[in-house]
Amino acid sequence: MSSRGASALLSRASRIRSKLQTALEATVLEVDDVSYQHAGHAAVKGSSDKETHFNVKIVSPKFEGQSLVKRHRLVYDLLAEELQSGLHALSIVAKTLHETNPNK
Amino acid sequence: MQHSLKRRNETDSCFFLSRYRHRSSMATLNLSSLQALSSHRLCSSFPQNTPTPSFNFQLKPSINPRPISLKPYVSEKPRARVVALAVKSLGDTEALAVSPENDGPAGELPSGAGVYAVYDTNGDVQFIGLSRNIAASVAAHWKSVPELCGSVKAGVVDEPDRETLTQAWKSWMEEYIKDSGKVPPGNESGNATWVRQAPKRKPDLRLTPGRRMQLTVPLENLIDGLVKENKVVAFIKGPRSAPLCGFSQRVIAILENEGVDYESVNVLDEEYNYELRETLKKYSNWPTFPQIFVDGELVGGCDILTSMYEKGELASLFKK
Repeated sequence: MSSRGASALLSRASRIRSKLQTALEATVLEVDDVSYQHAGHAAVKGSSDKETHFNVKIVSPKFEGQSLVKRHRLVYDLLAEELQSGLHALSIVAKTLHETNPNK
Repeated sequence: MQHSLKRRNETDSCFFLSRYRHRSSMATLNLSSLQALSSHRLCSSFPQNTPTPSFNFQLKPSINPRPISLKPYVSEKPRARVVALAVKSLGDTEALAVSPENDGPAGELPSGAGVYAVYDTNGDVQFIGLSRNIAASVAAHWKSVPELCGSVKAGVVDEPDRETLTQAWKSWMEEYIKDSGKVPPGNESGNATWVRQAPKRKPDLRLTPGRRMQLTVPLENLIDGLVKENKVVAFIKGPRSAPLCGFSQRVIAILENEGVDYESVNVLDEEYNYELRETLKKYSNWPTFPQIFVDGELVGGCDILTSMYEKGELASLFKK
């Protein structure tokens, strides 16, 4: 894991991508900063941090046999530090490879 | 009048023309122009042309007394006839049962615009109403006063505008009053039973009596009891009537659209739900809001609820 100093220099998007990729070995990983859509949001008015809202889409074998709640919990756990340091909201799409390409 | 209502449109046309033809023998206007004029009127649902003064003058003396009184103005007659034909009489309309087994009116009732009469199980008229969607109106009545909805008569108006609907409603009301000597109970002034009520919005739940009161049980126990005593509980940011974040808003929209009976808790309410946010995150092991519980278990947040909604999985979830 990166040192604290190095971590501070990376954008939140980069940190999110790095943590998810390392832990989930994702075949698909999309990290979209949609903070601009929530500019002026009441709950984040006091925050000086601009990276508050992200959409993530993850395709990973780690989700095999896991319920949606467990998958989302897994992602939240990996990003717990971000959620405590200014990340306000996270939209998650978590799928297995099979779910993105069913055998039909 | 009642007899003529049972005729087909073609018969009515012949009947109408026949009367005009008969009348023309007493007038100086030639037959062909008179036929053209009457033909035009028959084709028009809402005649716009008023008769010329001379025409009006000529026709007036020839009016004969009739069993059903019409307005003295000649120009009103075609309109009245057209409106009268728009809906069957109340007595001639067949009643459709509103069956309790169906949990309300089903596909039998028309979803078009028109007039309807609600009968109780004794066969007494309770209410005569007009509606843009008869089936929806009857469903709403059934939901609020099922004990008064035994069967329904519906008269569809094919070209519904305010005037036509009102005329159809008046004709059924007049017919009922004439037959029974009274106004239907639901139509009496002051009776609000059948007026569509604005849907009452449930209040948000509060976990505590307020900051000034000392809690005698831990907040975790209050949360645990709350989610287990109520089938569906949504912890949201802001009140249900005006959620303060888009994700909570979407969750409320989904629950409302599903028509599910649910409770809501405003986690931003610092007076009655203070310290709820942090305690709930530990309780559910879920770091964000909204959080939706069903049967005491966390279903997830906005994403999961949206996903289940789009896959059509919510109905079975709420029915378990």
